[in-house]
Amino acid sequence: MIGSGIKRGTAELAVLSVLQDGPLHGYELARRIEKRTNGALHFTLAALYPMLYRMEQQRWIRGSWETSANGRRRRCYRLTPAGKKKLSPLEREWAELFHALQQLTKAAHA
Amino acid sequence: MPDWQELVRRRLSGLALDTVERDEVHAELAAHLENSYEAFCKEGLPEKEAVRRTKEQVADWRELQCEILDAKRGDLMQKRARQLWIPGFLTLILSTTFLMALQKLGFQPRIVSGNDTTGTILFYVPWLMSLPFLGALGAYFWARARASRSTVLLASVFPVLALAAALICMFPIGMIIEDVVGNHVDFGIVATAMLKDGTSWLLVPGAALFLGGLLVSFLFCRRAPSQSTAIGSETTRA
Repeated sequence: MIGSGIKRGTAELAVLSVLQDGPLHGYELARRIEKRTNGALHFTLAALYPMLYRMEQQRWIRGSWETSANGRRRRCYRLTPAGKKKLSPLEREWAELFHALQQLTKAAHA
Repeated sequence: MPDWQELVRRRLSGLALDTVERDEVHAELAAHLENSYEAFCKEGLPEKEAVRRTKEQVADWRELQCEILDAKRGDLMQKRARQLWIPGFLTLILSTTFLMALQKLGFQPRIVSGNDTTGTILFYVPWLMSLPFLGALGAYFWARARASRSTVLLASVFPVLALAAALICMFPIGMIIEDVVGNHVDFGIVATAMLKDGTSWLLVPGAALFLGGLLVSFLFCRRAPSQSTAIGSETTRA
């Protein structure tokens, strides 16, 4: 199980990555992240929405009310051009961090 | 099934956002809880357990309320600047510049004479006629920035609000200065002057600005919640 500090750091990356595939409402977004990370990242309502609102304020994502096929109104989030721009360096940073940690653990075991 | 909308509304009643935005947050969180509850029910959990597991998602509503406010606050400040101050000052500058231009071009004000005690009231008719357009222009910016109808109306009269604040400060300060230098000014004269200036520069211009704001608020103000478009089935499968 991944610790809460790392989870917080990866949360934004997770949201941006999943929204790359298309717009999603909050519940579905949380579900997709959980599914794709095999349950390692699990967002409760209390954790998800303040983060989404913060990301919206930073203009990385944009929310708008939409009506689904079954007539339900949902606030759907989509990636903005600024969010797309943010994603690549974030991915690179995290890849570098994980690579560095791997090197460290390998060195420790050697 | 519990009324999730009511539950969220009750728990986040102190969310200090404008009405439309608060309602949107309530609706969004309620929809999330409803989805969670339905998913637990589909998993075969008994209703009581599904409700308990759904409610477990928020351990502390007060903390959530603070976090939402914190997250939205930056946005709120930017919005306030965008919605109120920038268009407000733009309207104020435009109206003042136009009035100064009229005076420079030699336009004479229409003088409405009263009796000896009330004195005269001045009206720059072309300026007054321009104010509904300026009020409408300012209100249009606010409406575009998704301000609520009341904000649009209040902000369309921004130039007279600024002037009223200036007048309210000016008169007592003026009276104190006169008193200090030894000139005793009759309060009746000051009150008459305030009434005259209030009518010439606040009441009538305010009504003209409000007229423009009112028109725009009816034409452009959003209805809560905001825009609605259809989306594909991918985003609605729960």
